[in-house]
Amino acid sequence: MKTSLLFISLLFTVSLSKAQTTTKDTAKSSTDSLMNTLSIPEKGEPVIATFKATRLILSQTTETVKKHGLNFLVIHRFGDIGGSAGGGKTLWGLDNSSDIYIGFEYGLSDNLNIDFGRSKFESLLELGLKYNILHQKTDESMPFALTLIGKTGLKAYHSNTPVFDNYSNRFSHLLQAVVARKFSPALSLQVSPMYIFNNAPFPFLYGNERRFLALSAAGRLKFSKRMGLVIDYVHPFSNFRNSSVNPRFYDGLGVGIEIETGGHVFTINFTNAQAISEFNYLNDTESDWGKGQFRLGFTISRIFDFNKKHKSGY
Amino acid sequence: MKYIGVILLVWFATNRTGQDIYACKNAVVTLYSKAPIEDIEARTDKGTSVLNTATGELAFSVPIRSFKFDKALMQEHFNENYMESDKYPQATFKGKLTDKVDVTKDGTYPVTASGVLEVHGVKQTRSIPGKLTVANGAISLTSEFTVACKDHKIEIPTLVFHNIAESIRIQVSAAYSPYK
Repeated sequence: MKTSLLFISLLFTVSLSKAQTTTKDTAKSSTDSLMNTLSIPEKGEPVIATFKATRLILSQTTETVKKHGLNFLVIHRFGDIGGSAGGGKTLWGLDNSSDIYIGFEYGLSDNLNIDFGRSKFESLLELGLKYNILHQKTDESMPFALTLIGKTGLKAYHSNTPVFDNYSNRFSHLLQAVVARKFSPALSLQVSPMYIFNNAPFPFLYGNERRFLALSAAGRLKFSKRMGLVIDYVHPFSNFRNSSVNPRFYDGLGVGIEIETGGHVFTINFTNAQAISEFNYLNDTESDWGKGQFRLGFTISRIFDFNKKHKSGY
Repeated sequence: MKYIGVILLVWFATNRTGQDIYACKNAVVTLYSKAPIEDIEARTDKGTSVLNTATGELAFSVPIRSFKFDKALMQEHFNENYMESDKYPQATFKGKLTDKVDVTKDGTYPVTASGVLEVHGVKQTRSIPGKLTVANGAISLTSEFTVACKDHKIEIPTLVFHNIAESIRIQVSAAYSPYK
């Protein structure tokens, strides 16, 4: 009797302690596994910040200004650093400004922007729409971002050519598709086919096409959280430009450093293209890196936010 | 007889576990940065939490990408520059309530959860105070605490024009339901 009681009590304590440990084990593992099943991150989040700004050096990026945001752009190109127009006489081009662009980009929605800008080069005014149609997704269900751009340029002032006597000759149009991919947090690349049609060929020379295709390729490699190296290249598929000897035309090529400060994005660059707007540099880039005809330039992009602040609960 | 006793005991012990687990899939987490130039606030309701009332175990997880800011650019900078949400997509807390609470009785109980808070991939052992409320059998948990950016290697460069507080206030609120 005594032994059986002892045995029973022993069994009880064993089973009790065992039951307790299993309770604890299952509880712990179930809390963990439950947490894991509950906190699976949402799939297919759009990839953000493929580029820091809506512009690189020559190209526009796939990025748009978000809803009720206003991007104020000041873009500047100095004169030739070397060559006949450069050198110490002009403080390596700093005395001259080959182009100045002041622009505004406003977010009608997160994906749709309306853009307005004015260039010193040819006193060009331009108005455009930009629509970010596809977003790259984190789960690779969409491997790239696609943005469409359409804009119209107007040379509103009488310049030195008589072609503008017919007012419609002052207009040019551009259609562009930008395809970009963020390969890693540091590396983003984009290619962008463009189609430009000028109502009057520019420059107004015999044999110049009014319309042609162009392709640009650009990329950014971040070397710190806030700074990156930018390269931007554009080639117009124009027989006239490729074969013309006087004047000779060149592909646009820019290299620069991009710095983001939270609110501002600065780009400091060197490029052979004198002009900032596609309407000007696609049509008329006559300066050559090899002849020292490249220049210092910068882009300042500042975003203002016009979203209403919601009432703080704090 | 002894077998019945053992079986009863084992059954009782195993049966208990399931009923003590409570889960919340829409925990609200709000963060506040109060600084002289600008007050910044962001909110998410996509936090998840599991509470085991028998053992006191508590787990929280918040997807960083789900925080919504007033300014889109701030939201982008938060993810891209500060939290690096592509590398560290979640902020988590895993710990235990140090106070025993009887969840069968209605009332408000001050509690302390001690455990590991992981933000921006950096783990910190923390003891976080909160309030556990039981009302008509429904359990909810609220808490307010601060996270120092420095503790979690969140760098705020001097170049930044937005003024960001060095310590971020966090409010958490979770309403639990029994997990079946």
